Amino acid sequence: MFLSVGVRFEANVEALNMVETAGNYSKHRRVPYLVEEDGKLKTVYVPALSGESLAHAYQEHLVREALGLGLSVCDDCRRNEFYKSMNKVHLKKKVNPIPDDPRDIEIAIVRSCVVEDVGGFLYAEKPPVRRSSAFQVSYALPVKSVALFATSEPQLHARHAQMDTSSKKGNASEQMIYYVETGTALYGFTFNLDLDAIGVSAITSEPILDENELKIRREAAMRALFRMLSSAQFGAKLSRFFPVGGITEVAVAVTEHPFVVTSPIYDDYIARTERRLKVLEGLGENYLFTVATGEKVPEEALKEAVDYLREQGAF
Amino acid sequence: MSEYEGIVKMLRFFVQMKNFGYVDRIGNALNPEPVEVTLHEALRAFRSVRESAPVDESGRRYVEKDGKKIPVPGIPTEEEIRTFLDDVRSDIGVAKRVATLALAYPSKKESGGDE
Repeated sequence: MFLSVGVRFEANVEALNMVETAGNYSKHRRVPYLVEEDGKLKTVYVPALSGESLAHAYQEHLVREALGLGLSVCDDCRRNEFYKSMNKVHLKKKVNPIPDDPRDIEIAIVRSCVVEDVGGFLYAEKPPVRRSSAFQVSYALPVKSVALFATSEPQLHARHAQMDTSSKKGNASEQMIYYVETGTALYGFTFNLDLDAIGVSAITSEPILDENELKIRREAAMRALFRMLSSAQFGAKLSRFFPVGGITEVAVAVTEHPFVVTSPIYDDYIARTERRLKVLEGLGENYLFTVATGEKVPEEALKEAVDYLREQGAF
Repeated sequence: MSEYEGIVKMLRFFVQMKNFGYVDRIGNALNPEPVEVTLHEALRAFRSVRESAPVDESGRRYVEKDGKKIPVPGIPTEEEIRTFLDDVRSDIGVAKRVATLALAYPSKKESGGDE
C-alpha cells in the first residue's frame, strides 16, 4: 500500500528553517520560485522549509512511536542523531563483527532499528550498502496563487546582560541586538509513505521481518505522521517562534501502488488528484481519497486513512 | 574586471570562510534576478560580519576561522554595485566571471580592510 498526503498550512511569523547566522543576523531559508504575473513568468524568492527539516521531524516522531509500541530503535536514533549506520563506528554498535555480505549488513541494520528501516541509510564503507527511504517529503513552499504575498522579514530582538564596571571587558555591551528573519506564508508540501517497503530488503525484495513485526512497524510509521501533523512539531525555533496559524487543508490518498497526490501548491490540487485517481480506478486499482478542507479537521482525514489501511490488512 | 574588485573581494572573503552559497548562486545564475537577490543577501551578511569583526594592531578588521585570521575587506561602493547590476542586466556572463574570479587565488596578497 502507498500513502500520499498533500498538506497546506498557514504559518505567520515563523522561523522554522534557519540557514545561517552572519554576525547578528540569522537568515530564513529562501528559494527561487517561478510565478506568473500579468501573463509573464518571473522569479521571486520566497521563504521555504527544506524536506530535510521535515524528514528529521518525522523521524523524531517515529522514534517515539516505535518505542511506544515496543519496537527496536538503535542508540543513535534514540537520541535523534540520525547517523544511519554511516560508517564502521556506528554499525559496530548494531553488529560486531561486521558481515562481509551487503545483504547481511542490511538485515542486521533493519532488524535493529525501525528508523533506518523506514528512513533508509547509507553505509559508506566496503562493501557500501544503501537503502532508500520508504518515506519521501518535499520542500514546503508557498502556495502558487498567493506566493507573491509571502514575506520574509527580520524581527529585532535584544539580549541583556547585567554588568558593573568590574565585570565589563573592553567594548562589551550590556545590550546586544540581533535579528531573526521570519517567514509568513501559506505553505504546501507533499509526504509519501511506501508501506510495502518497510521491513523488506532493498537488495533482494524479500521480507526481512515476520508479518506481525511488519504490521507493527507500518503502524508506527503512520502514527508518526499523524503525530507530526497533529502536533505541528516540525521545524526549528518553536520555543519562541511557534508559527501562528495551523493546518488549513489535508488531502490523503491510499493506493495499492505508488501514486502521489497533485502538489498542494496548486489551487486545484484536490480536483486534479480526484480525476487522476478516477483514471486509476478504471484500470482496476482500489483507493481511498479523503480530504479535510472545511468541516472536517485534518485528524479526521488521517484517521480515515488509518482505518482504511487496517481494513486492507496493512496493519 | 577590475571595476568589480570590491565585489570580488567580498565574495572571496565568503569563500575563505567556507561559505560558498553566495558565489555559487551568483556564478550559476541564469538570469539577473538571482544575482540581485544574492548580492543583497551577501551585502547584508557581510555588513553584519564586518561590523562585529575585531580590529588588529594595524587597524585592519579580521575574523578567525579554524585558527587562521582572515582579513575582512572593505564594503563595495554604491557605484561599483550599480555598475555591476547594470552590466549583469545586459550580460549575465558578467556574474559568472566575477564569481569565477572570487574562487581563484588573488594575484597579489590582499590587505585587510580600508581602515
